[in-house]
Amino acid sequence: MKQYQLSTGEKKFIGSHLLVAILALSVGSLFGPLQAFEHAGWDIYPYIKPLIKSYYQGLTVHGVLNALVWTTFFIMGFLTFNVMFGLKRPLKNPTLNKVGFWLMVVGVVAAAIPILANQATVLFTFYPPLKANWAFYLGLTLVVVGSWVEGWGLFMTYFAWRKENPKELTPFIAFASLVTALLWQICTIGVATEILTMLLPWSLGLIAGVDPQLARTYFWFTGHPLVYFWILPAYISWYAMLPKQAGNGKMFSDSLARLSFWIFLVLSTPLGFHHQYVDPGIPPVWKFIHSMLTFSVFFPSMMTAFTVIASLEHAGRKNGGKGTFAWIGKLNWSDPSVAAQLLAGILFFFGGIGGLANASYNVNLVLHNTAFIPGHFHLTVATAVTLSFMGISYWLLPYLTGKKLWMPKLAVAQAWIWFVGMIIFSNAMHVLGLLGAPRRVPLGLAPYVPPEWNSRLFQVGVGGAILFVSGACYLTVMLMTALSKETVKEEVEVPVAESMQDLALTPVWLDRWAPWIYGALALIVLVYGPVLFDLIKNIALTSPGFRVW
Amino acid sequence: MAKKEHENNDEFRPNGTIAILVVFVITTLLIWGTIYMILISRGSTI
Amino acid sequence: MSAQPMHIHPYERNWMVFSAVMLVLFATAVSVAAFGMGIQVPAPEQRVDPRIVATDPNSPWSNPGLREVSPGKYDAYILAHAIPVWEYLPKEITVPAGSSVSFYVTSSDVQHGFKIQDTNANFMVIPGQVSKLTIKFNKPGTYNYICTEYCGSGHGIMYGAIIVTP
Ligand code: HEM
Ligand SMILES: [Cu+2]
Ligand SMILES: [Cu+2]
Repeated sequence: MKQYQLSTGEKKFIGSHLLVAILALSVGSLFGPLQAFEHAGWDIYPYIKPLIKSYYQGLTVHGVLNALVWTTFFIMGFLTFNVMFGLKRPLKNPTLNKVGFWLMVVGVVAAAIPILANQATVLFTFYPPLKANWAFYLGLTLVVVGSWVEGWGLFMTYFAWRKENPKELTPFIAFASLVTALLWQICTIGVATEILTMLLPWSLGLIAGVDPQLARTYFWFTGHPLVYFWILPAYISWYAMLPKQAGNGKMFSDSLARLSFWIFLVLSTPLGFHHQYVDPGIPPVWKFIHSMLTFSVFFPSMMTAFTVIASLEHAGRKNGGKGTFAWIGKLNWSDPSVAAQLLAGILFFFGGIGGLANASYNVNLVLHNTAFIPGHFHLTVATAVTLSFMGISYWLLPYLTGKKLWMPKLAVAQAWIWFVGMIIFSNAMHVLGLLGAPRRVPLGLAPYVPPEWNSRLFQVGVGGAILFVSGACYLTVMLMTALSKETVKEEVEVPVAESMQDLALTPVWLDRWAPWIYGALALIVLVYGPVLFDLIKNIALTSPGFRVW
Repeated sequence: MAKKEHENNDEFRPNGTIAILVVFVITTLLIWGTIYMILISRGSTI
Repeated sequence: MSAQPMHIHPYERNWMVFSAVMLVLFATAVSVAAFGMGIQVPAPEQRVDPRIVATDPNSPWSNPGLREVSPGKYDAYILAHAIPVWEYLPKEITVPAGSSVSFYVTSSDVQHGFKIQDTNANFMVIPGQVSKLTIKFNKPGTYNYICTEYCGSGHGIMYGAIIVTP
């Protein structure tokens, strides 16, 4: 059976997302190793002064390009692909999606100019009253609005499909992608409000001051669900694609996979206070309620762990795997896409454990803003997400371009090198944090570093060097594939696993949207409403801006 | 055995999955417990 | 699609129940520490005007430092700022071992952090707000307090110390 065909134009459109994403990752990731080297005492910043003025300017580039640009562009491209391929139909209104994409591109450029001019060295969290040039805030707004517009294009496509297929179950990859896009629409209301009601008018001189506590609360309204916006596309691939790639396995449970996406939609926004446990302006009762909700959102991730591993076990046993653990060796480790995603998944276990600790209310007193935090999120966004996306691009780029993947063996090695480098780097960061080392500090120069930290700081540098090698390998493989003249004979097969359960068994209520959306909104109003109402009622725009970099 | 009306996943016994998850749970308890003990040993904040 | 209830594999059902139990366990442990042992996170204390908090003579932060409220009990008013330089005022505090110190920390400019090494004091310092936690110092020694939130180029040199004398 021939698979559904995307037109050349559609492939180009997805490919443009990939191009911007990979460019962002290449530039952004350059600074990661520099930061790691600085920690180890190998300070390279004096040599790049003509270009980048400080550690913090570099850190802003690193955070913005990696955490915001690489992720958002890759994700929007991947979701768009999944919706078209899953629903087997073109976009309802491709122009709308193109407008969204270009808004995002213009936004990135607008934000990049002040960052490179050292006018926006405010890090990717841009906490006021640090005050960046207005173009930075405008650029971020355009990126968010662009991603909304692209999301609307996807929803319109779904409505059109639903009209044509009133009785059919939404295919899983399209379904999960639409939920992810919807989650993003709901949660970005926070940061949009922050920028549009405070930061942008303030940076333009229209208002004299801001309320930093309220700004943080808006920011983290978006900030936690943001991490789900990052990880859910990886989950889509792990649930529905990886089992197929790893050995023609089937997805263990279609219903539970859908259920977990709905729980993510409902629960991932109303718990942002877990980033504000140690903020002075929020009552502990509400922090505690958000901590309990955070424990609940861990639940669908536990379900995901089960379903994904069971589907992989199915693949491993089909490949002739035996024993309790030996089947793992029978997965297609020689496929770079499989190796990258499996290794990403393994490190995500540890990312999950660190996240659980951070989220545990007062346990956060031990960890807040220590090096433990970057240690943690380099396992999640910088590995579970990033290494999975790299893995996806190992089939997606050949699919889009019709070129053969250049040196698949190097690609497999790239995944392993990342894995090893990240273990060294992130383990050292976690330990440093437990010893009390703060994050966002050039620790090579800090005056209060006790000698006990030194061996760990050295390991941070070693891990960074290994990660640099892996990043360079990734870029080389991508570049050489894109430039290669060697084409594939047949269109690359898009790996989509079948469900082990007959789809006729998936309950109808898992394909209904309204109840879940109302539930999500109601919960947000319930657990954010009272605190936000109070903060807004007592708003004090008393902080003028500061440029202290 | 009679063929069932719908194909299901009941026949498949993912024992390896359970084993992996047990290892995960033990690791979680150890790491989380260690950090929790640091918190407790440092005492009250009110 | 089916109108039947959802089918769940017995292994997975057990795993879900087990996961829920485990999460309840964590929640219980956290609650015991919070409500049983008094290991709490900061609560809204007071709001201030960051533009005058360091200069207004009625503001305790115009004269930051330690006040003894009763034998062995102290209030420490600490000001964090990035302008003119990145520092805490006061830079150093000395208390005898066994003292209980309530820290009231605020900022006159950007956001900062405040973490006393080897203790449970670790919180955000936000202009317009006052952060408070109380710590008992039993062991003599020097405890650095360091800034844990990016506050500009000098963030990495911003620290002070509590000296606990025997
Ligand atoms: C190439 C390998 C990488 C290395 C060696 C590296 C290293 C680092 C280091 C040492 C820090 C801490 C800086 C500090 O706290 O002062 C950091 C921060 C950060 N990294 Fe990476 N990183 C890498 C890749 C990535 C990737 C792929 C992502 C995301 C997709 C990422 C996202 C971040 C973010 C969001 C921060 C926090 C920035 C902030 O605190 O404002 N990193 N990185
Ligand atoms: Cu979070
Ligand atoms: Cu600071």
